[in-house]
Amino acid sequence: MKGTGTLEREARTGVRTRIGLLICFLLGTALVIGGLQGQREQAASGFESEGAYQAIYALSGDVNRMEQTLRRDLESLDESERMAAEAAAREILTAGGQDGAETMAADRLWKYAAVYEAVNGPKVGARDRRTLTEMGAAAGETFRREALRRLSDESLPLPEETADSFSGLEGSAAREMLLQQIVTSAAAQEADFTEHINHLKKNVRGKDLQKTAFGMIAEGSLNWAWKTVIGNSRTVILTGVLLMLDVLMLYLLMRAERNWRVDLKWIMILGIVDFLLVFQVVPVVYMVARAFFPEGSFSLETMRRLFGYALNGEALKNTLIASFATMILGTAIAFPLAWLVGRTNLYGRRFFRALFVMTYMVPPYVGAMAWLRLMNPNVGTINQWLRAAFHLSDAPGPLNVYTIPGMIWVLTCFYYPYAFITISRAMEKMDPSLEEASRISGASPVKTILTVTLPMMTPSLIAGALLVFISAASCFGIPSIIGTPGNVNTVTTRIVEYTSLGQQGMNDATGLAVFLMAVALAILFLSDVVLARKQYITVSGKSVSPAIVDLRKARLPLTVLVGLFAVIVVALPFATILTTSFKTDVGKSMWAEGNFTLGNWTAIFSRAETLGCLKNSLIFAATAATVGLVISCVMSYLLQRTSIRGRGIHNFLITLGSGTPSVVIALGLIMTMRGDFGVNIYNTAWILIIAYLIKYLMMGMRTVVSAMSQIHVSLEECSQVSGAGWFRTMTRITGPLIFPSIAAGWFLIFIPSFYELSMTTLLYSSTTKTIGYQLYEYWTFTSQPMSCAMAFGILLIVILLNFLLNRLTKGEFSI
Amino acid sequence: MATVTIRHVTKTFGENTVLREFDAVFGDGEFVTLLGPSGCGKTTMLRMIAGFEKPSTGEIYLDDTLVSGGKTFVPPEKRGVGMVFQSYAVWPHMNVFDNVAYPLKIQKRSREAIRTAVEKVLEAVHLSRYADRLPNQLSGGQQQRVALARALVAEPKLLLLDEPLSNLDAKLRESMRFEIKEIQRRTGITVVYVTHDQTEAMAMSDRIFLINRGEVQQEGSPADIYNRPNSPFVADFLGKVDFFSGEVRQGEIVFPDMGGQSLPYSGDRTGKVRVAVRPENFILCDDGPMEGILETWYYLGDVNDCRVRVGQTIIRVIAGGFLYGTLRVGEKVRLRARDIMVFPDEGALEEILSIQT
Repeated sequence: MKGTGTLEREARTGVRTRIGLLICFLLGTALVIGGLQGQREQAASGFESEGAYQAIYALSGDVNRMEQTLRRDLESLDESERMAAEAAAREILTAGGQDGAETMAADRLWKYAAVYEAVNGPKVGARDRRTLTEMGAAAGETFRREALRRLSDESLPLPEETADSFSGLEGSAAREMLLQQIVTSAAAQEADFTEHINHLKKNVRGKDLQKTAFGMIAEGSLNWAWKTVIGNSRTVILTGVLLMLDVLMLYLLMRAERNWRVDLKWIMILGIVDFLLVFQVVPVVYMVARAFFPEGSFSLETMRRLFGYALNGEALKNTLIASFATMILGTAIAFPLAWLVGRTNLYGRRFFRALFVMTYMVPPYVGAMAWLRLMNPNVGTINQWLRAAFHLSDAPGPLNVYTIPGMIWVLTCFYYPYAFITISRAMEKMDPSLEEASRISGASPVKTILTVTLPMMTPSLIAGALLVFISAASCFGIPSIIGTPGNVNTVTTRIVEYTSLGQQGMNDATGLAVFLMAVALAILFLSDVVLARKQYITVSGKSVSPAIVDLRKARLPLTVLVGLFAVIVVALPFATILTTSFKTDVGKSMWAEGNFTLGNWTAIFSRAETLGCLKNSLIFAATAATVGLVISCVMSYLLQRTSIRGRGIHNFLITLGSGTPSVVIALGLIMTMRGDFGVNIYNTAWILIIAYLIKYLMMGMRTVVSAMSQIHVSLEECSQVSGAGWFRTMTRITGPLIFPSIAAGWFLIFIPSFYELSMTTLLYSSTTKTIGYQLYEYWTFTSQPMSCAMAFGILLIVILLNFLLNRLTKGEFSI
Repeated sequence: MATVTIRHVTKTFGENTVLREFDAVFGDGEFVTLLGPSGCGKTTMLRMIAGFEKPSTGEIYLDDTLVSGGKTFVPPEKRGVGMVFQSYAVWPHMNVFDNVAYPLKIQKRSREAIRTAVEKVLEAVHLSRYADRLPNQLSGGQQQRVALARALVAEPKLLLLDEPLSNLDAKLRESMRFEIKEIQRRTGITVVYVTHDQTEAMAMSDRIFLINRGEVQQEGSPADIYNRPNSPFVADFLGKVDFFSGEVRQGEIVFPDMGGQSLPYSGDRTGKVRVAVRPENFILCDDGPMEGILETWYYLGDVNDCRVRVGQTIIRVIAGGFLYGTLRVGEKVRLRARDIMVFPDEGALEEILSIQT
């Protein structure tokens, strides 16, 4: 029912958009060509790095202004004096081996002289240098004028202000020092001159290259645009390639959608694609390439070396055994627990549920620390109890955390919530009449669980189990705290170790990382297939609360059992962390004579370093969460509200990112974000923030997507019919409706980013240390009690945030 | 088959009493419907019969066996009852055959017996061709029939149906209605049927219990409660009805809001009354006792839905379809009324009719 007017208008928009796209595409091409040209130029010039160009450009600006200063000085001289000074400068330069100085035009000559002297000239004494730089503009002018006169007329006296530097110098040497002082004086006006000169010295080495550089500086031939291109040729190429890709994608999408109107939606979509491409695809592809093409050609050398090495084989075996056992044990705990807490009249089931879910939010390394204190073979609290209770000898044991079973236990304690949450969510969503139908068909409650509940839960059970497996396999915090002292290596600890072993080590780390990633992704894929094939979860409209099974006589014993489990898995470790934080000597009881101290707590709150790390963590996590939320919102809109082809790609990449082990993400970023691919964020906060984003984005996205799926599209359509645009609809209608989920999503990214350790270990720099890493450092190198105080502090913050979230979303969400 | 005896059953959830003093006997082979607005307690009653809820007080007997009451509680699996759930509750991980065979497998019947029984019941619900399908390959109506077949396969004494048709579309609902009724007639099974749809209840039931706010308002055959409701609520809940305030005076009811016009009355109520008339019971005729002006006239094919202004009151009249074209809007018409229902005037009507949800 479109009028011809509308059709015409649409056709015009189409043509305009297409022309715009073509222009953008050509611009991208131009950028790529320019960047390549810049690279070639750089290669031809012989300069090793892009830094040379940046220095040249910076200096050409500096010397331009210096030349103007000098020109004013020269113009205040007589014609003859000026000519003489110029001739003297030429002589000095020629003597220094700078060909062509004799014929150089005057303005070029002085610029040339300035930079030449700054780089190669004699050294001005420190005091004289200060005198020169601090003498002020008018005095400087007088000084330079006198010095320029003296340059050509040996009969005049040398300047008195800087007599020190001339001591022992005569003739041409004295003259050159004079020129150097003139330059230094003129440079005093240029704030960054010395820094730029140092930059040049660092990036341009060798006489010939220097000469070229001096020539270019004096020439001033490097204009801003060209400098940008050559100085950042890789970034330019990257931008060009992205632009071309974006335009191409946009064109294909628009053609598929038959919608030629460019709006904010498209730009956001493409922005996300670019982000994921650069920070996720490039590192992963690079790592795979590096693992299989270490010297540029295909070779399995890295792999052979890696797996030929016994320690790696052992690490691999340990990882597989530990993860598998954790998966079995964790799921075996999680399923009955989820059933008891979700579907029976267990006493305090809500409390237990909240408690078990909360452990999900506890940093795993905190658990590792606690269990280390509890099950240390010599001084572990549990071991001491056991020895006392059973009158055992004082020999170490009976429990030893520094073993594979010890590690499995700690891993289980901290990863079973993953399965618990997955399973209990599915269980609570299950339509209770499915079970009632079985009961009414004559099946007993037990039979019903076996024939209906369990089979229906299978997909979630498998998904939960695989999640536990992959989390345990990718975990770094627990193996590094427990495994390292016990010499139990895992793949993740090996990777981190390798990264500190130079180039070869990097290669090996990459090999292991690629292997770990392959395992993780294979499992992720498997779990997705299982879930997609057999997604049984049925949401019925009627009975909201699932049917509660009466445990009758078993009610009390089972509650006691669950309570005992909670004490062992939650209360005991937390209490240990708390008590340890008040101890001076970790080996003794807190109440032992003189062992109780508040010193650890006052220390962490008074140390500027700790507070700085806390601030870093808060800022990084908040940035990651905020950016992540914007991406999540756009993504959920894409997934739920549009049928744009290829929207699954985003989803796939984000899922892939969260499935990639942290250590692998960090390693990939280290290797690709140092400028080789046009982005240099190494050692900055951004590399951490991006790592957090890649790892935790999915947590936020899933939350927002599921919330969005529950808002019927007609609410949005109604807004659009009322004349609101896409953006207004999102901010006025959809946004407010999904606010609780948005808040939840924000916290879901914020909290794990806040205390992250695995990636931070590899990516931090001295200025970007986070609280998680600080804690790890304290634990390993400084003081375990202080580290425990920090751990408990982190725990409190996490609990507080969770409470806040609960309040903010009116109880709809907590973790 | 079976009888269900319910003795003074009350059910409370915490402070909230959802069912009060339910007392009834459902006869052998009877089709009983518990009808009422949502939240009235009808589903709770059904779930107590099934054994998914325990009565707070009172007893339930199946035949002569006490199943709930006092210290006795027979769990659902021991009651030998068939049930169809509103959400169908067809197990998605089993195909149609396995779903239906499940109750027999629990009873450990022989493989051959199971096959025969399942085939027979699938035949009855017209699903023989779908035995190997998984539930997600079936339409809503087909899933509904799987649920029905599963409830019937073990030949229970009693079949409980919890709003089984509410998730189906209108046409399918109508045909399923007759199928269920037909199966019940053939097997002679006792059926307790829960619904909030009065047409469904009217079409299928031998007896209807109309429940509101946890209390039985009226019980009786469909014709009984449709034509002789004992309260304005019942009249209103079952079908269309208009209410008028009037006063009984010597063999007639005078309506002040209709310019003092009146209808003849021979009942024994006196004073102020509330009169309920179903629109199809107003008849346009030349010699009716009331006079009004035809305001609107909608032709719906089988009937005409008209509004007639009498005094300050607008009366809805449903006239036969054949009358179309005989009268024009704005004309004077005369009205007669039959089967008028007269209730004592008990104040605010809205409150009486309001449906608690």
